[in-house]
Amino acid sequence: MKHLITLLLAVLVLVPEVKAQRDKSPWANSVVRLDINRHNYNYFQPWSRRVAANQKFGLVVGEREIVTTANLLYNHTLLRLQKGGRGQWYTGRVTWIDYHANIALLTVDEDEFWTGLEPAKLAEHVPDTGAAELVRWNSGRFEVRGLDINRLQIRKGQLTFIDMLHLELDSEINGVGWSEAITAGGEVIGLTISQARNKCIAIPSSFINAVLQAQADGSYRGMGFFNFYWQQSENPTTLDYLQLKGQKRGVIVTQIPNLPGDNNTLKPKDILLEIDGFKIDTLGDYDDPVYGPMMLENLATRNHWAGDQIPMKVWREGSEQEIVYTLPKADFDNELIPTALYDVPPEYVMAGGLVFQPMTVPYLKSWGNDWQRRAPVRLIHYKGQPPTESRPRLVVLSTVLPDPYNLGYQSYRFLVVDKINGKKISHINQLQDAFDASEGEFHIVEFEQGEAVERIVLDASRMGSATQRVMLRYGLAESSVINE
Amino acid sequence: MKKLVSLICFAAVLAQAAPPEESVIKIVVFTQQPDWDEPWNNMPVSRSSGTGFVIEGNRIMTNAHVVTWAKQILVRRYQDPQPYQARVAYIGHDCDLAILEVDAPGFFDYLEPLPLGGLPKVRSTVVTYGYPAGGEQISYTSGVVSRIELQNYTHPGNRRLLAAQTDAAINPGNSGGPVIQDGKVVGVAFQGIPGLENTGFFIAPPIFEHFLEDVEDGTYDGFPQAGIRMAPLQNPAQRAYLGVPSQFQGARIDALFSDSAKNHLQKDDVLLKVGDHHVAQDGSILYENNQLHAGLAFSLAQNGDSVPVTLWRENEQVTVDLPVTVDRTNAAAGNLYQLPKYYVYAGMVFTPLTKNYLSTFGQNWSATTDTELLYELFYKRKSDPENTRTEAVMLASTLAHPVNANMRIRGRIMIDRINGKRIDRLEDVISAFEEANDDYHVIEFARGAGFETIDTEQAKTANRSILNTYGIGDDRRL
Repeated sequence: MKHLITLLLAVLVLVPEVKAQRDKSPWANSVVRLDINRHNYNYFQPWSRRVAANQKFGLVVGEREIVTTANLLYNHTLLRLQKGGRGQWYTGRVTWIDYHANIALLTVDEDEFWTGLEPAKLAEHVPDTGAAELVRWNSGRFEVRGLDINRLQIRKGQLTFIDMLHLELDSEINGVGWSEAITAGGEVIGLTISQARNKCIAIPSSFINAVLQAQADGSYRGMGFFNFYWQQSENPTTLDYLQLKGQKRGVIVTQIPNLPGDNNTLKPKDILLEIDGFKIDTLGDYDDPVYGPMMLENLATRNHWAGDQIPMKVWREGSEQEIVYTLPKADFDNELIPTALYDVPPEYVMAGGLVFQPMTVPYLKSWGNDWQRRAPVRLIHYKGQPPTESRPRLVVLSTVLPDPYNLGYQSYRFLVVDKINGKKISHINQLQDAFDASEGEFHIVEFEQGEAVERIVLDASRMGSATQRVMLRYGLAESSVINE
Repeated sequence: MKKLVSLICFAAVLAQAAPPEESVIKIVVFTQQPDWDEPWNNMPVSRSSGTGFVIEGNRIMTNAHVVTWAKQILVRRYQDPQPYQARVAYIGHDCDLAILEVDAPGFFDYLEPLPLGGLPKVRSTVVTYGYPAGGEQISYTSGVVSRIELQNYTHPGNRRLLAAQTDAAINPGNSGGPVIQDGKVVGVAFQGIPGLENTGFFIAPPIFEHFLEDVEDGTYDGFPQAGIRMAPLQNPAQRAYLGVPSQFQGARIDALFSDSAKNHLQKDDVLLKVGDHHVAQDGSILYENNQLHAGLAFSLAQNGDSVPVTLWRENEQVTVDLPVTVDRTNAAAGNLYQLPKYYVYAGMVFTPLTKNYLSTFGQNWSATTDTELLYELFYKRKSDPENTRTEAVMLASTLAHPVNANMRIRGRIMIDRINGKRIDRLEDVISAFEEANDDYHVIEFARGAGFETIDTEQAKTANRSILNTYGIGDDRRL
């Protein structure tokens, strides 16, 4: 209660003051504009490179240090910064970036840029109610607009597959989500990431602080996450069935997806009773000392990083057991269909007009915003599948560039490759070896069972010349791009 | 002079035959469809109309879709306002044809059966007869045969059979009406394509002839399939790899689905001939001057017949008699016209995963349904046959009662196991509950989507009262 009164006082005292000094807002010396030029890859034509430009905001937080969200910094070719909302642009560079955390640090090498700029303070704790302000440059003027804090919630991160803490605010402001700073009580409480109707989502400063501190002292090992699915235990019969003694509590582990390197001992039908010293209720919430009831996923990112060991208590086969859960690292490389690819061009191999590509979510997103409805069902199906040892990734024949060499195959596309010349194919970098392995006159490409065609045959001796011809005819500078 | 006389005589004979419209029948149908989401319930009764025509044997031929789900069928003769009751003698949902019979004596008196003709030529003129848009007077439209091809038959939803396209207007109500050329029926009007102008489709003579021959033994079997997937064999490297001599055309057999195909054919066999038809590199045959998919030649055999096929196999030409059968393995992926199966236990409503069931998710169901359900129903059988269930079962909904009120997962979800037993068909659900002897029933959902439990004794006690509360007469339909 005392906390609330202080907060209210702070809001009452500070808000009028900031509004009165709108033209000379102290935040104007901390908020800078970013101009980003970047590659905008077209996965349907992976050899073509288009460009995109975006503008967003950064916040000075330390000595020659600017923080912003990681969004839109991927694949950048030029980064420029501007202070004061007008005038000269300075070339900047990214000094550190983490896409799962969605945080980037930037700097500018020119001393002149830093004159007059002042670090802003990131709040240690984020209020979960009350008024806040969004600050940004808008057409040369510094804009300070009011919004209301709605709640703190756990949701999937903008650039990752893991769940983490976010701040949700009500706002009537348009065009929000470009890393604008949200302030309250004289401190920055978050950086915006998106807006949907009148709801604005921000990364809370408490999380940014924790990441930046860990990054500064070298203890940051990447984001960890809970690699298991659970269900609420609101059905008391289920807890009886699992022989839980005592009061109804905990949630039930339902599935542990296969993940390389995850050697944790959780089992389906374990009841999760306690994580990191916090009791879990039947809804899957724990009582956060700062924010109150929060979903248990927050315990994977609350001051913890990949590799941290988290004590857990589970109910298993009629008794309470203590286990230690080692947080797996969030890594797109460990997915069958990677959620994202950042700072690498799309990979492909074009052989005799046949274009092979790794199957990735960015590839599937070529079908548009509603790709999960529009892309072929057979491809979407794989998105829900875990990788296996024999099949860690997938390669698709995405299209065929017509040439006499591939006559009869021109309409084949979106086929998942099984084998080439008898060799199992998972990675795009296995293709060349598989083609080289052909001893006879033919290359045999086999596709997964159930595809539109299961086997095609190519002339091995003429593939090289056909590849050259197709490159010329269709304007490909390279016959393949494979990232290390 | 002699020629002129014979022509006049011929004309005189024709003039004696009754005009075709006298054998065209207006059909008014009252239908009631089941509710696939609450399978013990029915939808409201609705009225629709179509057309039919009299054929040999005092029978009326029409479309299957005209009389599907019919509770009452009334037929009316040309310029005769009196309705007569008719009933379905045979119905072929795969080819969208049905035969009606009328028990009232005298109905067929003075009605001439319309003679059946052969496949009309493309660009020749045809006239459709029918009662489109529910009109009382017969309507004629004339047009040319635009093309003849295998078309998707929308009534079964998952079948391609021979059909002709015409620019003669074919509208709702025309369905089942004869398409006439030179006084003979050369088609049965059956479908259009919304949004496409001047295109109507009629069922071609080989299809209705096949249907009539099929029912001669008193049961309808349907159109068989080869149970294979063909792939074009145009690539020179692939032809060389298979050693196909240059004088042969032929398409490659890429996959085998039916038991018969697996027993008689091999992958990479090259299909050179089906019956007497040579197969081209793109998998087509020349059928009465139309280049059509070779699947046609298999479909025109009767169920259980053997079709002689000539193959290029391992550098030799061989001939194999391939028995072909009607594929009934994944009927659920097409439109079903039997009452839905279900089982209700302790308020939990179980029903098979079918296209009809998914369509209850709304008009836009194919875009909004969970991709995994679409995969299960439409793709898995071919891509992962070993793990495909005979009949995937859904928990459609849970009818609220204290015994199940605490269950959080209540419907629209696929079942994996019940009490540890893998659910491969609806019957497994019943035996899984009936054979249980633990304190709790455990219902596990597919793809790791969690599980629910219910107290065994309480479920047993509550079952009957739940059925009564929700007005469910039978707890099952299998």
